[in-house]
Amino acid sequence: MPVDRAVILAEVGEMLHAILDDAGVDGEITMATRFQDDLEMESIDVVSLAGRLQGRYGDAVNLAQLVAGLDLDSIRQLQVGQLVEHIAAALDRTEASGTPDTSVGTVDTSQGRAGTPA
Amino acid sequence: MSMVRANGLSVHVEEVAPAEAVAGRHGAAPTAVLIHGLTTDTLASWYLTLAHPLAAAGLRVIMYDLRGHGHTERPPEGYALDDFVDDLTALLAALDVTGPIHLFGNSFGGTIAFGYAVRHPERVTAIAAIESSPPTAAWFEQVAQQLDHAAAYLPREHALAEIRAERGELASRRARTAREVLAGTSLVRDLPASRLPAEEVIAAIGCPVLWVYGGASPVVGLVPEARRLLPRARFVTVPGQRHSLLVDQPAAVRDIVLSWLREDCGLPPGQPGHTGLSGQDGRDQPSAPATTH
Repeated sequence: MPVDRAVILAEVGEMLHAILDDAGVDGEITMATRFQDDLEMESIDVVSLAGRLQGRYGDAVNLAQLVAGLDLDSIRQLQVGQLVEHIAAALDRTEASGTPDTSVGTVDTSQGRAGTPA
Repeated sequence: MSMVRANGLSVHVEEVAPAEAVAGRHGAAPTAVLIHGLTTDTLASWYLTLAHPLAAAGLRVIMYDLRGHGHTERPPEGYALDDFVDDLTALLAALDVTGPIHLFGNSFGGTIAFGYAVRHPERVTAIAAIESSPPTAAWFEQVAQQLDHAAAYLPREHALAEIRAERGELASRRARTAREVLAGTSLVRDLPASRLPAEEVIAAIGCPVLWVYGGASPVVGLVPEARRLLPRARFVTVPGQRHSLLVDQPAAVRDIVLSWLREDCGLPPGQPGHTGLSGQDGRDQPSAPATTH
């Protein structure tokens, strides 16, 4: 079953609200929301997001890998949608490699590591 | 994110475990501690650049926010070199890191690495410093001048707006952070009053040392002094780059650091130097040419 991007978007949105304490969040977070221009994220906030993503989805989702090689300014220009697609692709790979019960964008954290692609 | 109690402070620590394939082959993974610079900097500069490539190369990577910076507590006092070294010493004890360590420092973070190495020479097996200097009087004078200038300019009413107009929103936000650090701490007073180690103590550091500089940065002017103190160190300059070399050219710095680890520090080859995904989708930056001298 393909993972549900709307569910992932909602989960990422919750994480961003928690990290930014609603200070930088003006209105709804959508796929087009930009980390810098719309959310005013600092690089230290990106680190917090990376930790929450790993806690939620396991090692298959690695924000540092997504941004590897980008300079910090480019990271801030990223859109939430690009991150959601990255998560969905990672979870699809995890599912394809046989991790049980990865239903609809929700992977149990304890099992997220099991199907990590090499 | 984890908060660790060290030297009376709540310290923000991030850790990246070594790649199992590499670490498992060669026994216990060496520990790397990555130290950021002053006022505008945080551990994010390392986390988003070299932390994962170093872990992929087999190192256990530890990063922390310095006192007064990032998510670490901001005490009003205690910002001399020895305070920063005491924090690092206490943090390693709190994390139960008892073996030898590789230290990596960006800007003043490199100076803290040397400050630690002169006080605990038996613990440090390698030092890599980006846009940095050993704790010398000339360097502390340069840093003190910059801090004085920032402390005088940033509180002005239109300072942040001027910076935004001239250098953009990001620069303005960094300036705002610097203003908060300078206003809330004794950094401007304490740092120039630091007790500096004697030159012969710095010169006695025997582990492999790497210096990486941006060719267009004023810090590169300190190379002759660093070379005089540590003639066996490796010096690499990336042409045209400024003081923000680490975050502007992460791929270039990564390649320089990983080849030094293999050639001078005995880190085993055989693992790609970066995390891999960036190479697959073709967005990885090509390395800038570098000059070894």
